[in-house]
Amino acid sequence: MRVLEPWLAEPLTGLLRESSARLALVMTASGQVVAQHGFTRSLDVMAVAALGAGILATTAELARVVGSPTDFGAVVHHGESQGIWLAPFDTPRGRWIGLVVFGRESSVGLVRMFFDRFAADVRVAAPSDTQPRELLAEGFERELDDSLRALFGGAPR
Amino acid sequence: MTLTAWQQLLDTATSVPGVRGAVLVSIDDGLVIAESAMDILPTAEVAALAAAIVQRTLRVSAAASQRPPRSVRVSGDAGTLMAFVADGPLWLVAVADPAAELGRLRLLLGDVAAALR
Repeated sequence: MRVLEPWLAEPLTGLLRESSARLALVMTASGQVVAQHGFTRSLDVMAVAALGAGILATTAELARVVGSPTDFGAVVHHGESQGIWLAPFDTPRGRWIGLVVFGRESSVGLVRMFFDRFAADVRVAAPSDTQPRELLAEGFERELDDSLRALFGGAPR
Repeated sequence: MTLTAWQQLLDTATSVPGVRGAVLVSIDDGLVIAESAMDILPTAEVAALAAAIVQRTLRVSAAASQRPPRSVRVSGDAGTLMAFVADGPLWLVAVADPAAELGRLRLLLGDVAAALR
């Protein structure tokens, strides 16, 4: 597990332990990856972060088109051996995005339950010293690159 | 069976004094299909955790070359959780207070689970 800020380690460890998640990624809506578990290549993180943010932006727009008063919340893709839980959550630092990959040793219900607890723990633990930014903001790619360098060291590979 | 019929059967299960709620759970994904419960019972969490228990129990049975269990019961100081297989991946789960009539509840849940098939 790698985290950009130490205070994130405890909530993320709890989520990973309790939900038996295989992979996890936490990023800000502006593209800064703040924590990850299970990924070994920064290029994978880059792709997953960009695709995850894109999926949420797409579903938010779908919600608007069909007249939903709020976003749909979590997006779940469930395959034969693995599933993906992708959900935004609000923190004192603005909207963040969590992506959890889980296998047959877990379930959507378990991941949802412990993800909700993780989001609540982050809300309590997060220092509120920066301004929230919008989903897929202009600097998404630059922020993603910067955070990957901080998490993995050197240029993305 | 319709959702209304499921709901009526779950209401029957919660008619036993001391039963906090009954939930029809999809064991594969740990989600609530239908429920009849007191407001204070976190049914989504009950479903997720009950599904985890039942899944592990099924794996233990398979590893021990035993037939899969038809019911699972977990008791603690604060109450009892009972789960009965209903229909395929659907299990009927009930949560009861320590003072609930567990014998009566067990019989009733068995009947309700059978009716859910």
